Amino acid sequence: MDSDDEINSVQSSEDDFMDDEDSLGEDFDAVEEPDDFGFSQDKDIKPRKQAYEVDFKVWGPGQIQDQQDKQVEEVSAVIGQPTESTAILLRHARWNKERLIESYMDKRDEVLESSGLSEDKEGSASITKADDFMCDICCEDGKDLDTFAMKCGHRFCVNCYRTYLASKIRDEGEAARIKCPGEGCERIVDSKSLKLLVTEDLKDRYHELLTRTYVDDMNNLKWCPAPDCTYAVECGVKQKDLTKIVPTVTCSCGHHFCFGCSLNDHQPAPCMLVKKWMKKCEDDSETANWISANTKECPKCHSTIEKNGGCNHMTCRKCRHEFCWMCMGVWSEHGTSWYNCNRYEEKSGSDARDAQAKSRQSLERYLHYYNRYANHEQSAKLDKDIYLKTEKKMTQLQSSSNMSWIEVQFLQEASQALQQCRQTLKWTYAFAYYLARNNLTEIFEDNQKDLEMAVENLSEMFEKSTDQLAGLKVEMLDKTSYCKRRRIILLNDTAENLKSGMILIIPNS
Amino acid sequence: MSSSAVASKRLFHEYRTLTNDPPEGITAGPVNEDDLFLWEALIQGPEGTPFEGGLFPAELKFPKDYPLAPPKMKFTCDIWHPNVYPSGDVCISILHPPGDDPNHYEHASERWSPIQSVEKILISVMSMLAEPNDESPANVDAARMWRERRSEYEKIVRENVRKGLGL
Repeated sequence: MDSDDEINSVQSSEDDFMDDEDSLGEDFDAVEEPDDFGFSQDKDIKPRKQAYEVDFKVWGPGQIQDQQDKQVEEVSAVIGQPTESTAILLRHARWNKERLIESYMDKRDEVLESSGLSEDKEGSASITKADDFMCDICCEDGKDLDTFAMKCGHRFCVNCYRTYLASKIRDEGEAARIKCPGEGCERIVDSKSLKLLVTEDLKDRYHELLTRTYVDDMNNLKWCPAPDCTYAVECGVKQKDLTKIVPTVTCSCGHHFCFGCSLNDHQPAPCMLVKKWMKKCEDDSETANWISANTKECPKCHSTIEKNGGCNHMTCRKCRHEFCWMCMGVWSEHGTSWYNCNRYEEKSGSDARDAQAKSRQSLERYLHYYNRYANHEQSAKLDKDIYLKTEKKMTQLQSSSNMSWIEVQFLQEASQALQQCRQTLKWTYAFAYYLARNNLTEIFEDNQKDLEMAVENLSEMFEKSTDQLAGLKVEMLDKTSYCKRRRIILLNDTAENLKSGMILIIPNS
Repeated sequence: MSSSAVASKRLFHEYRTLTNDPPEGITAGPVNEDDLFLWEALIQGPEGTPFEGGLFPAELKFPKDYPLAPPKMKFTCDIWHPNVYPSGDVCISILHPPGDDPNHYEHASERWSPIQSVEKILISVMSMLAEPNDESPANVDAARMWRERRSEYEKIVRENVRKGLGL
């Protein structure tokens, strides 16, 4: 693998550069083909799919609508309903085409009825004036009052119905599955009724929400979680495969995220470990762990004591109990051997000492991984600051060394690579915390070490002053592609082992 | 019609229904018939719970846009319960407007909507007395005691019941 890497690191700089260009996420039309590098000839040297990569496709808002319309048309042709009714049926069936068609063929009336589309005229919903009616919400009555009810017969005045729907659409973001306001009524307010009642100002919001439910209902579609991003990503990875695959996808807006859990890219660690790890870091259980590792309890009154130096002769501040820090026994039993505990082998204290040693060990292990995890997180933040200054540096470099804009792009590229590698490194530490030791872990750790060294080297170069940077261009380009290559190797290796089940996770760690 | 006129009408209607057909263990009505926006209620402690035998007074304050927005409810006696703040304010999902979920787990259907009513609130509060929800306690100490030292919790509740009855 290493020799392979040597060869690749030289020739790969070009395609990596293009790859990076793509991940910058400039506003180009690569929506349909996120893997497109923008230049046709690059397709020839486009690397084959890596083991850690998954297939995915990014959809823009218009395309989502088209996709929806296409499905509606398809089903409409099969079941012979107008497209509008078909859309209602499909939404009701949570876009499960096959099941809808099947059940429609089987029990047509039942399906129509349950989605509020039944055809008999008496029950069809319309705004009417009803005799002898009092609205249960506002207690208004009168012959001139406009009222509305669906087939379920829960009648309310139109004003109250409108307010109810408006609060559902505006405040709660519901659209396709709003229930009848009647208490305990499960009937869904169908789109015909909604059309009748939703006021003009909410129509846009309503349609937007309908599109939203389409993506929410589809298992293979997910919204990009980046703020204000309107794209959705399609990926075929199933929920049950998440223990073996870490499906990182890249939205056209440039955001890398995990298709499984929508969190930021956390390769190589699988989703469930990420969840576990974040919970562990949040929990104050580690504070308790620290206390138990660094303190002891007074054997008499159980106050928690931290030894702040000095000899083993302890006197509890609270109860004045005198005991030995080493063996936890009563001090007076030490007889003549003052200030020197020779009762260490005794059973009484040894159990407590074992428990303490164990907890201290587990704390140290956790802290080892946590510190490195947190360090990369912190460094990535600092690197990001540098990234923000990069542009300034690039401009400086242009003026000081007669380099063109294109020629200083290497800084941008290096900065991007740093970010990405640190993100990966960060998660390798969380991942490693849960790994059971075997030969593979050693390879994993070697890979981790290589990547880490490369990243730190590059990071250091980045901090050089502008006049030195020009001379470092070649070296930095090399380092950048080396970092990327090391990252790919690490991710490929881990992804393959994860897929084949070779990586063992420590249970309950 | 202004919103406060709607509210008055509706409150008057609810008052009439509650007086004509009161649910068991619950009495409620305006403190003063000139002001329909402030009610007092008496809730009996549910049987088979440490609250049994107690009578718990509370006040309900209605907003001007009732029934779009829910009322606020506050016990005016000492009550030791995981879902009642030490101030007496009641924290229960039916009193939370649908758009706002401070605890991020309540279903919209459990929360306030205009078709809920004073009667339903009081019935919910009564069953809350019997079955506290310790997921989002308003009174953390009471919740912990309820979870970990049930007998001590019940003792305090019984003492409050006796105190409330002037025994």
